Amino acid sequence: MATTTKFDIPISERIQGLKAKRERINKDLRLNIERNRIITEYYRTHENEYPVMKRAGFLHKWCTTRAINIDDDDIFLGDAGPHTRSVHFDIEQTAHSWFKGCFDDTDERFRAAWQVPGSIWVSDAEREELLHLADYWVGKDIGATGRGLMPPDYFERFPPGMDITQLTGSYPGHFCPGYEKAAMVGFGAVRQQAIEKLEEIVKHTTADNVRSELFYRAIIKTCDGMIQMSKRYAEGCREKAKTEENPERRAELLRMADSCDWIIENPARTLWEGLQVILFYQNLITADGTHWADSPALIDSFLGPLAENDIKNGDLTEAQAQELFDAFLLQIGNQIIMFPKPNNDMLIEAHKNGKTMFDLQGGMQNIAAGMLITLGGQKTDGSGDYTIATEMMLLAYSRLRVAEPSLALRINKHTPERIWELGIHCSKRCGGLPQFNNDDVIIPGQMSRGVSLEDARRYGVFGCVEPGISGMEWSLAANCGAFGGGAGFLGLMNFCIHGNVDPMTGAQGRLPCKKLYEYETFEELQAEFERQIKHSLDFSARMNQFAALIFDTAWPVLSASIMMDGCMESGKDVTWGGAKYTGHGSMISAIGTIGDSLTVIKKLCFDDKTVTTRELYDALVANWEGYELLRQRILNEVPFYGNDMDEADDLVVWFTNLYADHYNSRPAPHNGTLNAGGLDLYWVGQGKRTWATPDGRRTGDTVSPASDPRQDAIKNGPLSYVKSVAKMPWVKFRFGGAINIRLDANSVRSEESTAKVRELIESYFTQGGIQFCFTVADTEVMRAAQKNPQEYQDLIVRIAGFSAYFTHLPVETQDDYILKYEIGV
Amino acid sequence: MEYENVAGHIYDIQGYAVHDGPGIRTTVYTKGCPLRCLWCHSPESQYHEFELSYLPVKCLGTDLCRDACINACPEGAISREEPVQALDGSGMIQKAKIDREKCTVCLKCTEACITKALYPSAWNTTVDEVYNRLDKDRGFFKNGGGVTISGGEAMDQFAFTYNLAKRLKDSGLHICLDTTGCAATELYEKILPYIDLFLYDIKHMDTVMHKKLVGVGNELVLTNARFLAEHGASLQIRVPVIPKLTDKEDNLRQTAEFCASLGEAVKLVQLLPYHKTGKMKYDRLGWRYPLSNVEPPAEAFMLKTLEMFQSYGLNCQLY
Repeated sequence: MATTTKFDIPISERIQGLKAKRERINKDLRLNIERNRIITEYYRTHENEYPVMKRAGFLHKWCTTRAINIDDDDIFLGDAGPHTRSVHFDIEQTAHSWFKGCFDDTDERFRAAWQVPGSIWVSDAEREELLHLADYWVGKDIGATGRGLMPPDYFERFPPGMDITQLTGSYPGHFCPGYEKAAMVGFGAVRQQAIEKLEEIVKHTTADNVRSELFYRAIIKTCDGMIQMSKRYAEGCREKAKTEENPERRAELLRMADSCDWIIENPARTLWEGLQVILFYQNLITADGTHWADSPALIDSFLGPLAENDIKNGDLTEAQAQELFDAFLLQIGNQIIMFPKPNNDMLIEAHKNGKTMFDLQGGMQNIAAGMLITLGGQKTDGSGDYTIATEMMLLAYSRLRVAEPSLALRINKHTPERIWELGIHCSKRCGGLPQFNNDDVIIPGQMSRGVSLEDARRYGVFGCVEPGISGMEWSLAANCGAFGGGAGFLGLMNFCIHGNVDPMTGAQGRLPCKKLYEYETFEELQAEFERQIKHSLDFSARMNQFAALIFDTAWPVLSASIMMDGCMESGKDVTWGGAKYTGHGSMISAIGTIGDSLTVIKKLCFDDKTVTTRELYDALVANWEGYELLRQRILNEVPFYGNDMDEADDLVVWFTNLYADHYNSRPAPHNGTLNAGGLDLYWVGQGKRTWATPDGRRTGDTVSPASDPRQDAIKNGPLSYVKSVAKMPWVKFRFGGAINIRLDANSVRSEESTAKVRELIESYFTQGGIQFCFTVADTEVMRAAQKNPQEYQDLIVRIAGFSAYFTHLPVETQDDYILKYEIGV
Repeated sequence: MEYENVAGHIYDIQGYAVHDGPGIRTTVYTKGCPLRCLWCHSPESQYHEFELSYLPVKCLGTDLCRDACINACPEGAISREEPVQALDGSGMIQKAKIDREKCTVCLKCTEACITKALYPSAWNTTVDEVYNRLDKDRGFFKNGGGVTISGGEAMDQFAFTYNLAKRLKDSGLHICLDTTGCAATELYEKILPYIDLFLYDIKHMDTVMHKKLVGVGNELVLTNARFLAEHGASLQIRVPVIPKLTDKEDNLRQTAEFCASLGEAVKLVQLLPYHKTGKMKYDRLGWRYPLSNVEPPAEAFMLKTLEMFQSYGLNCQLY
């Protein structure tokens, strides 16, 4: 019985139409070739321009020549490309690693992959053009810059054929852009400030400021471009108004035109204008490229007063304001960045199974460019920052039931009752959106790395769960995987067991060590694991310096710098260390699998001495073949992480502290900080690549997701679960962490259940938890959705760091998800 | 703090038991009950004697453990099932098969079973042991939450329940007692100071029907309810709505009238619609499920009943 509540207010007909349009387009997506054409042409004809000027030149060109696309029913304007929901990718990022495979394939295979319904349509002419464009970037792309400067020890570890994700560990970016400044100060004022700075430098040019001169010139050019782009949209609206027969729509288009003439250059005056600036600025950031997960934070802070003002003046009713937030949410979700990069085999296979390209993209990530919107929080003086916009955004999500962009709600002692209720209601309806973030842990965490209290209060969350200071911090999410910060830890544990060899591949690690049966004591094994972890993190920190240098050298990110505190003052791009704060994060994964494995070794082999290390080693080498009895004993008798049993949780606490202490203290690029985090998105994939582990896991089985305990190890229910997780050193996890918990549908049915969920979150936060996320879904509903996906299109579930449409997930992830919760969490 | 570390037998402890009183609660379930409700969803709670529970899905075949349970059974009550495909696709397996006629519930097989497919339906414990477990969840009980002692009928193990309640109450926790009302009135009088809220079942207003449905008449239930109401207890009345059995309008009306007659002692009335989730527990014990032909009540009916209760001025909710 899904009980309807006071928050279930129907959406307007116009919004229903926009939502239906979006679902239609999902089956007929187009690649954003325009942006890649413009950047390639610009770079081709300006090869000798200084990198930051070249970037500005391209952005200016893009702003002033891109197609202006206004649909008949649009309430807001602007897409990444010439079509609504154009799928964006950066050709200069990885010119050939996926391109050639897709487009230089045989005609037959190319068509089977790209020219069938449900794919991203690429015509024969576009295919030819893309290959032509890509040819230019051979030897000139970001990967090439990286290959030109990475040191020998990098290449020893990562053989040739790498692309940008391996060079940096992940995409750069991952930050909360200065939306408030874009909307409430405007590009005109920034342009004026740059002119003044420039005049100063010209009077006295030194070795220290000569590069800044180029930076300010680049800023002026980019501002010019943006101001022109807005005016071009104004012109587009007027053109459209000329032929519009409906007088109401005609008046609306003319109002939009007047606003577009004003905004970008000048501060927003109305709610519509504030929202529209966010969209135009997001378009610029996407077009600038080479990054991901650029997340609007604290937008409700300035949108609230704009909305209040419109309502007070009688320009908007509350219902009309709500409609604007609904339309905004749909529009910002139209920013799609291709991730992961497809290949034709994958596409052809998917089409055979009736899956669309959208399914493939959405099943791996939050497809809306990895964006996450953060709502609520605190003002710099520590008072609560919740507005009518906070409420209306939460209502928009709960009514529209969309999974992208992702959503976070900041929680502190000022969070109003109604925001709590709405947040929990929304999360029930909308599969884990919002996640709840604990100010009391995150703010001290940010301060521990040198952020001032006032600034720490203005943090936002980007990507999945990562805190960063909104409009003040540039971040290179440098090693979500490749440098051993991420997937590495489980691999390192296996090195400690197998004498520095990965039994999966036979590959050697960097530090020779003993095999499991050669350790005399558990402490000796711990010391070895610690040595491996520190060595890996040192390497990671060293490579971070080079990864940052790639961008410092040739790939500035002006779209971030333009509204970033610190850049205008210092005359430095964010990639040169110009932002007020620079942070680089890392994520560890499989926390439960590692902790439980250590517990098994300690308890059975060293404490109880009921199994010899040799026997356990042999069982692991055999992938438990012939050792099923031992495996069953482990699964049924050893206490595991997630059940509030110190014996198991202590080892998780031990190695997560070790990791955070060591990583947080390493030197970071541009005198920023390295920040520990706990999250992964790929526990199914990581499991496939990982040999059997002492916790009874077989080779290839999934590992524990995010900071969660192992799927089948939860025996004592939700309270013990969150209490175990709360023991982790979350304040030190300055790059965030995630838990997901499914609450049984029965337990959230009654009216009072909302208050109980709130209590659960509050108790978890009081005990030191950093973030909380829950999903309500019946196993039966999920099973039914597997059978009849068409009828469950808006069933949203929470994955490790994002929410996804259940039916888009790969079947094995669906099965894993169901298994995780069948055991009664 | 004065209490005795009495022994007891329980069959579960559950955190986040959101239907068992205000706030976040952890509930401890004692074993043994004087009633035999047809709709009982915890059949393992009925008898004080332990049962042998069997969860075949966890049995990986008797080849694996070299017939551990079969060899452990002194009565020859366990044998091999017909071969079936293993869940992980590794081949055919023969699971354990229990002859419940021969089984004397000595539970030796549960000690031998390595996968815990065979397990006792309850365990022996003490007040201290249960207290230490519940104490771990204290951090969740701040806003009106706490511990619920449920059953079976917790009053059936009075010494255990009394001392546990006393120890918990003395440590500052909020205590609910979930009770059928079927215990001697003087026992309620004794435990009353340690219980913040009684979750009190009224199953049927007609004593003949009551006896038919749950095995005993309702006189004691109604007497104890009045006693508690008159002696300062807080009551949360729970009314099971079982189609065909308790859902006749006159019964529900009389129930509402009775609740109203208890006055301010009644803080809340919960209407609990019948559900079938208990069925699988019968399978584990090898028992027949008594209500195979009853379906959960319609939502519309529940809403109508809710309104009716509210019309008596009662604070009433579904679930």
